[in-house]
Amino acid sequence: MSEAYAHDTALVTEGSTSYDRLVDGAIALSIVAFATTLLALVELVPLGTAGATLGNYFLTLFVAVSGGVGLTAGASWANVVSVTSQRVRGVAGGLLVATGGLTAVAYLTTVTLATLLGFVLIGQALIIGGAGISSRLDIIDTEPDASAGLLAGGAFAVIGAAIGGALGGTVIGFDSIAWLVFPIVVGVGLAVLTIVPREDLGSTIPVGLVVGTLGVVVATAAIGVGWQWNPETLDGGFTGGVVIPLFAAFGALISAWAAAKCRAGFGAPGREYGAFLIINLNALLMVVTMVSIVLFVLTRGATYATRGLTTSALTLLVLLVPLLALATEFARSRVGGGEWNRTVRLVTQIAPLATLGAVAAVITTVLITGNPIEYGFNYQILQNRNLIPRETAITITPNPEVGAVILAVVASVMWIALFRNYGSLRNVGAAFPRAESVRQLVPVAVAGMAALIGGVLLVGPTPAGVPLGSVVGVGVVAAGTLAAVGLAALPVAGVATTNGSIADRTQASAPLFTLGVFGGLAVLTAALLLQPVTGHTPGIAGVDLVAVGALFATLACGLAAGVSAYARRTTTETLQDRLLGEETILGLTGAAGFIALLGLHVLATGSGFTVLGVSVTTEGTLSWPMILQPYIPLGAEPGGIMPAVVGTVWLVIGATLFAVPLGIGAAVFLTEYAEQGRFTAVVEIATNALWSTPSIVFGLFGAAFIIPRLGGNESLLAGMLVLGFMLLPLVLITSRESIKAVPDEYRDASAALGVSQWETIKSVVLPAAMPGVITGGILGIGRIAGETAPLILVLGSTLNATESVNVLQGFQFVAEPPFIINDQLLAASASLPTQVWAVIAAGVSGSPQMGWASAAILLSVVLTFYAIGITARTYFRRKLNYE
Amino acid sequence: MSETDITPDTGSTATTTTAGESDEQARDAWTEYRAAGETKLSVEDINVWYGDDHALKDVSMDIPEESVTALIGPSGCGKSTFLRCLNRMNDRIKAARVEGSVEVGGTEIYHPDANLVELRKRIGMVFQSPNPFPKSIRENISYGPRKHGEIEKGLLARLFGRDDTEAEAELVERALKQAALWDEVNDRLDDNALGLSGGQQQRLCIARCLAVDPDVILMDEPASALDPIATSKIEDLVEELAKEYTVVIVTHNMQQAARISDQTAVFLTGGELIEYDDTEKIFENPESQRVEDYITGKFG
Ligand SMILES: Nc1ncnc2c1ncn2[C@@H]1O[C@H](COP(=O)(O)OP(=O)(O)OP(=O)(O)O)[C@@H](O)[C@H]1O
Ligand SMILES: [Mg+2]
Repeated sequence: MSEAYAHDTALVTEGSTSYDRLVDGAIALSIVAFATTLLALVELVPLGTAGATLGNYFLTLFVAVSGGVGLTAGASWANVVSVTSQRVRGVAGGLLVATGGLTAVAYLTTVTLATLLGFVLIGQALIIGGAGISSRLDIIDTEPDASAGLLAGGAFAVIGAAIGGALGGTVIGFDSIAWLVFPIVVGVGLAVLTIVPREDLGSTIPVGLVVGTLGVVVATAAIGVGWQWNPETLDGGFTGGVVIPLFAAFGALISAWAAAKCRAGFGAPGREYGAFLIINLNALLMVVTMVSIVLFVLTRGATYATRGLTTSALTLLVLLVPLLALATEFARSRVGGGEWNRTVRLVTQIAPLATLGAVAAVITTVLITGNPIEYGFNYQILQNRNLIPRETAITITPNPEVGAVILAVVASVMWIALFRNYGSLRNVGAAFPRAESVRQLVPVAVAGMAALIGGVLLVGPTPAGVPLGSVVGVGVVAAGTLAAVGLAALPVAGVATTNGSIADRTQASAPLFTLGVFGGLAVLTAALLLQPVTGHTPGIAGVDLVAVGALFATLACGLAAGVSAYARRTTTETLQDRLLGEETILGLTGAAGFIALLGLHVLATGSGFTVLGVSVTTEGTLSWPMILQPYIPLGAEPGGIMPAVVGTVWLVIGATLFAVPLGIGAAVFLTEYAEQGRFTAVVEIATNALWSTPSIVFGLFGAAFIIPRLGGNESLLAGMLVLGFMLLPLVLITSRESIKAVPDEYRDASAALGVSQWETIKSVVLPAAMPGVITGGILGIGRIAGETAPLILVLGSTLNATESVNVLQGFQFVAEPPFIINDQLLAASASLPTQVWAVIAAGVSGSPQMGWASAAILLSVVLTFYAIGITARTYFRRKLNYE
Repeated sequence: MSETDITPDTGSTATTTTAGESDEQARDAWTEYRAAGETKLSVEDINVWYGDDHALKDVSMDIPEESVTALIGPSGCGKSTFLRCLNRMNDRIKAARVEGSVEVGGTEIYHPDANLVELRKRIGMVFQSPNPFPKSIRENISYGPRKHGEIEKGLLARLFGRDDTEAEAELVERALKQAALWDEVNDRLDDNALGLSGGQQQRLCIARCLAVDPDVILMDEPASALDPIATSKIEDLVEELAKEYTVVIVTHNMQQAARISDQTAVFLTGGELIEYDDTEKIFENPESQRVEDYITGKFG
């Protein structure tokens, strides 16, 4: 060992020898072989593929690798990301050569993928063996240890025993005890070969032997694609289709390990590089498995799930608004640094906005030209036990229509986002004495309308013959609407009537901005709420008054935003610039708010609304049969699984409402208040045990305990409770852990400021614990959303339900305890996981495509939960650490 | 511990023995000052146990207002424990038991009906390692006043027109200027406080403590985690603060104690207060041999 120091080894070895390149090639070959075998295992590239088809596969791989390597190399050349590591360069080059060579071989010969994999293994065995021997003969300069070590020896003993066992079984059969000689001899032999010689031989020769043997077995088709092994104890057997990829993947793994050791010159660096490669290939395995499960399900379910998906261009544009706002926000974030790659960063920042802008432009063309965008494809339905192909398409129609729900939701989201961004404009601008008196009137007016609503609700619309609802109420609604429009027009009026430059005038009108926007919104909201109570919708010439009012107010606010944005461009004063920016945001806030009210009005009254050819409709403009329709039993069209989607959504909402507050509350109590001791320890053990309890046991508990106490029928509520019980322990455990992880210094600091414990928990401890709490909650929700076993027992769901539960309208007030009842919650419901299960259980009568489509939607729902969870966690972490 | 030659009850003796004996000018100034300054904190026979461990023994001391009082002594002698008695932070330690009396401006803080919130608003504390909240600089400062309902902000306040954003801005500026941090951070008040340097974080903690408008500020080795430049900034700040506030500061650094404090209390192992007197007297001519040994580095 000490002679290692005698070497005059350079600290940085620049450049690399042909030996290095060869071993890098072996590593690259391992990676390609490993990835290919994984794909072969999920049958994306069948083992029997040969000739041009196989060539095409490798060509795709080659192109992908060239793209990746080329891009990185280009970036490295341009010094954007500098890749100077010889090892990375070597493997990259090796990947190019390996995929290129395999492509050529596949096109030029007729070998199958299986045979090719066999030859790849043999080649690797030769390279590794050769590398080990040349190291031992000191042809190349390495620093091996005295032995490869007991751990490697043990591993090869096991591998040898397995190979020997197979060999023994084949040669003399398992009947006589003599077969045992083979595994013992081969196992001990490999172990000795590994442990006894110097490390360079010990970690290459056994690998060469094992990989070579596997390669020969596969390449000579001793185990070929059609090979089968049927043990007598099993009904089925193992086919070459499974065994060959497993052999090849295993061979690729250990040869990558050995090649990595050779590349790093054995010793401690060799072990580290070897472990690094193995770990990364395992990570690759995980990613590939995940991706293939998702692809496997989605490719089978996608056509059926998206059949008939149609929406109007206008709806898409409305949906794009929040995304555009987000992208704008992203593009606005600061770019630091003066280097040239600042430009690159700027481009990446603007890219999302540009892309969304392009999409919006394409959709707008549809709207303008009136030509729909269509993507046609086929799907199959089950009729009389026959699969019948049908044509369908995904369409974007040019209708200038948008659904009120989408409009209201998007506008409300925008309203909240804008309002959060708006700072405060108090004590800014000129004093308007008359505006001040109006400001005092607004709360009175709103309170008056609220009182009227309460009055009509209490005494009825016509108490003692007085037409309170129809005449007074309608009059007030009309007056309120007009007042709201008037208020919304105040900012623009203010700018128009004051004196000075446009910037000064806009700044002076700031009080009118706040009064107009907030006053207008408040008054119109009150009028909107009063309207259904009166039982009348006042209108002019067949158009609803409130809707027209909301529209005008939107225009007025939009105009105010436009004016202040323009005024902002003319000013050079920093402070004024900021104030006018605030006013613009305020104007937009008003516009978003009034649009939301417009949508709500259409929803509440149930009558659509058209102006200038653009319609706001009550019926959605989105048509998605799979999600938005129930099953149609005997129709030509099969309908969809809306009841299952609705059921799952309610199950998740119910379970979350039940478990999350309870779990977080319990965690806060246990961590912050309870004396740490036996009691908390017992609770902790119980929680962990609850988390490990099998889900079917929860189902049994639900069926035997909860259901008899909830009316005796399988029901949605029982499902919610059972899922809630399953979610509870995870929320409790993760919340507790993350609350415990909040440093005590924060609590001390807060206490030393005289802040009470509860306030401290609320404003310091819980926010700091939030990322962990949310992660736990979302992981749990993702899990229960797909939970099947307990639901089979408690939900009472059926295959292809034709009716959705209607929880919201199921609520009724009653005069006796519990005062509020909901028969929908106590009714059976469908759900996505039970739908998938039912399709499978139904056998031939269930449409397989429907099953796959349901599974695809279930998977999307669960993955969406994960995506939301991860986004939320990242957001809170950012907020906490200020990255 | 062994019997000491000085009674632990130094609170009253210390104030009387120093008067008139020296002809030094500083001493006279001190005496005058002491005569003028009222006693802010009056500690009498305080004892603290952690379980069976008697950590603080019969300590009595009068701390005058608008001055700096340094607490020195070897590690583990109970300085932090004593400091925590003054704002009842020992209540937060389950094992701790406190006996005795502490009066703030004549009011007993260990009274069963004492208002802890009000007490801790009046007696602020700065900890050994900087502990800003993982929030923005602004939120850190306004945290106390907000929780005490003196500043209202947020969605509801805005909707009801009771938004105190401007009052908050004034408060933040005042506190940060007092803590000599304003110039360094005024352009990034909305950045996370954890992004500040250690010294800045500590001054932020001081500002956070000043924002609730205390009378007394307790500091437990506030500069121990900082480099010399940051330390001297904190020292300057402490001297500045003593013009308006009563500062009690624990330190391990003799020079620091000598530089910034008006009077010094020396604790020695076993939780006893050995000597409490004018700082110059302690450092130049202590009554007790053990104190002299400790100060000259022969002991402790
Ligand atoms: N939370 C606690 N639980 C139990 N014992 C404690 C606790 N805090 C302090 N003690 C004990 O009380 C004694 C005094 O501790 P204290 O922290 O007051 O010393 P100190 O003078 O501040 O020391 P240092 O200069 O090292 O900070 C020590 O013996 C210590 O072990
Ligand atoms: Mg201490």
